[in-house]
Amino acid sequence: MIQLFLGLVLRAVVVLTGTALATFSLLWHAPGDPALAIALARFNAVVSTEVVDQIRVEAGLDAGFWTAFKAWILPLLGGDFGSSSVTGRAVWPDLVTAMSYTAPLALSGLLIGVAVSVPLAILAARRPGGWLDRSAVAVASLGAAIPTYWLGLLLILLFAVQLGWLPAMGARTPVHIILPALTLGLGVAASLTRILRSGILEARGQPFLPAIRRRGVASRAIERAHVAPHAAIPVVTVFGLELAFLLEGAVIIEVIFARPGLGTFLVTAIETRDFPKVQAVVILAALLFVTVNLVIDLIYRALDPRIGSRDA
Amino acid sequence: MRSVLALVSVFGALVLLGPILAPHDPTAIDIANRLSPPSPDRLLGTDALGRDILSRLLYGARWSLGLAFLVSLMGLALGTMAGLLAAQGGKLADWTVMRTTDTFLAFPDLVAAVVIVGVLGAGTGSLIFALTITGWMRYARVARGIGLSLQTRGYVVQARLAGLSPLSIARWHYLPSLLPSLTVVWTGMFARAILGISALGFLGFGVQPPTPEWGTMLLDARIHMRSTPLQMIWPGLAVVMCVLAINLAGDALRDTLAEQGLPE
Amino acid sequence: MLSVENIAVRYRGVTVLQDISLTLAAGRTLAVVGESGAGKSTLIGTILGLVRCSAGQVTWNKAPVRRCRPALVMQEPRSAFNPRVSLRRSVTEPLIAERRPVDENQMAALCRSLDIPTDLLERRPSAVSIGQAQRIGILRALIAAPPLVLFDEPLSALDAVTQKHTARMIADLQAKEGFAALIVTHDLGYAAAYADHIAVLRAGRIEELTTAQAFIDAPQTAYGRELRDAAFALGALERVA
Repeated sequence: MIQLFLGLVLRAVVVLTGTALATFSLLWHAPGDPALAIALARFNAVVSTEVVDQIRVEAGLDAGFWTAFKAWILPLLGGDFGSSSVTGRAVWPDLVTAMSYTAPLALSGLLIGVAVSVPLAILAARRPGGWLDRSAVAVASLGAAIPTYWLGLLLILLFAVQLGWLPAMGARTPVHIILPALTLGLGVAASLTRILRSGILEARGQPFLPAIRRRGVASRAIERAHVAPHAAIPVVTVFGLELAFLLEGAVIIEVIFARPGLGTFLVTAIETRDFPKVQAVVILAALLFVTVNLVIDLIYRALDPRIGSRDA
Repeated sequence: MRSVLALVSVFGALVLLGPILAPHDPTAIDIANRLSPPSPDRLLGTDALGRDILSRLLYGARWSLGLAFLVSLMGLALGTMAGLLAAQGGKLADWTVMRTTDTFLAFPDLVAAVVIVGVLGAGTGSLIFALTITGWMRYARVARGIGLSLQTRGYVVQARLAGLSPLSIARWHYLPSLLPSLTVVWTGMFARAILGISALGFLGFGVQPPTPEWGTMLLDARIHMRSTPLQMIWPGLAVVMCVLAINLAGDALRDTLAEQGLPE
Repeated sequence: MLSVENIAVRYRGVTVLQDISLTLAAGRTLAVVGESGAGKSTLIGTILGLVRCSAGQVTWNKAPVRRCRPALVMQEPRSAFNPRVSLRRSVTEPLIAERRPVDENQMAALCRSLDIPTDLLERRPSAVSIGQAQRIGILRALIAAPPLVLFDEPLSALDAVTQKHTARMIADLQAKEGFAALIVTHDLGYAAAYADHIAVLRAGRIEELTTAQAFIDAPQTAYGRELRDAAFALGALERVA
């Protein structure tokens, strides 16, 4: 078990190193003169070549790839995300502020998704092929085909523009989270419903269930003790995927709703070519992602003893 | 398989015939008739510059569908090669390819695409690059999985004994068995590519104006949401219908494969 | 001459084969007998170079054995053919791999010896019988005229009548083509009838290696005697008075 755990951790470290290297080399090979881009973003005007050269030295851009990579990665290992190449301020506090907007959004989106999909999936799986099931599947398929940004726009159109019930732009009051969270949540619900439904149906089809039923165990007890854990396995795996969806959705939704979260942070950083910020977001997201997947892998093994040492 | 082929031909027809069917020039500016409601001449109305929305949608299919098709096929080629390399190339190749796959999977692909396009500069070239490089991993996993299971089949062992080159073995013995499963993955990735291209367009990182593309059209329409909400409906609806159709075709194919009991 | 020198195979800490040495001269037949799990399939894999051995070496005329392009006839005839391509394509694969043209006369002669109607080759593997599939498997093994052919339980998937028929064909072809045959089998009767030498494999080791006649007359080990007596009892071997 410990060996297995260490193996998984080692794999996570390899993946993170790979992400760091890939991101850094992408930014390193970005077209254009990064020093000039920083100068333009910082002074918002044409500057002399001396200033540009000074920035080049200051930002470590005159060094070779590996020197620059080391200069970035070593402080990062100590938790230092560096400072913005535009404002010169430390990246970390701004990142924390951004996260304080994204985390509630992601969490409430997930909650809405679960709150919608779990009852829907249970109702749908009660009579497979019945009208309720078929319409639930149809709605979920439709939901999976709707782009997040369009759903967000439609919700703004309906609730903010036409009805005027809810605010759409910014994050001034707690009410501002409702529309973006709903957008994210409905997207989550669409995929979760389908997975949960087929999970329940598959668990019901397990070969050992008729035997238990014949022994006279009440069907409600069977559902709780045997069907639920089996249906939970695909759900656990899917949480890894949902996390991707949440992050991805949050980026786009924050831009639509002008929320100052990670998405806006990232898009602004890209537009101003503030590479330390871009790197920080990428590494943070990858770290989150790899950690969650590691935990999922462990839960997965705990839920299904048959999985043992499943190779990727 | 037939439903997927039918769908691809309908989409192909749309991409090829779109410009012929379009009643107007998609880039012809007509300020006098800007933001006009649907009428017999302008079936879906006009946008903020007086351009015909229906024509823009039809021309836009070339980008939104055509580019997505191209990108998903490139991902298919790249991923299949990587997967077969992992399956056939021995332990070191397998480890390298699979850890690379993990690395690329360790990040939501759309966000990665935003970063790549944003850093390389918006444009069709970087869009294709970004969506291909973030869209090959699923193919690689499937190709490797089936490849490994085929490796011990009698006929693959025989081919290796005969001294057939790895490329020929891949061509004759792996690809035919991989094709159905890869097609299922491909439908999903095609849908994702459509969503990705329009999302990037919507964020301003995609196909650049004045080229008509569904995501970019939404971005334009968003500003005039209050006065002409309908303008915002059409491009979104086009994306939804295409993605839905692909997903349904993919589901149908997967069900058929499950019945036939082919690998995966 | 096939020469297997002191090979050992360990897999995840388990010793599958240990200290195996044997030789097989050109044109002769060696049968390797033993029960399931003795390491017979691993031995075949090692000789063909499909399984890496942790010690020792396998050569054909002092060169790595892969260079003589040994052929293999498998236990499961159908799975030896790609279900998606025609049998003709599979059969000619050894020639395709070496970019050699198909000699239609040789092909026809082989088909005649193996009792394969040529139109059968245009079919897919699922459209022929098991017995036919195995004969086509032999055809593929011989198409490039290899000096060494390995047979992995070549008869065990076939019914009794077909077994006799197929065994006869293999022997006739060997006389004609002159290949060396290494036959892995659990059927001692088959081994005794067709092999020049018999090697008894048990738990990854060779218990004894003698001429077929010597083995039937007087096995040198207790295990060899056990195997032989069991074969007599089951009627697989007939006592020659």
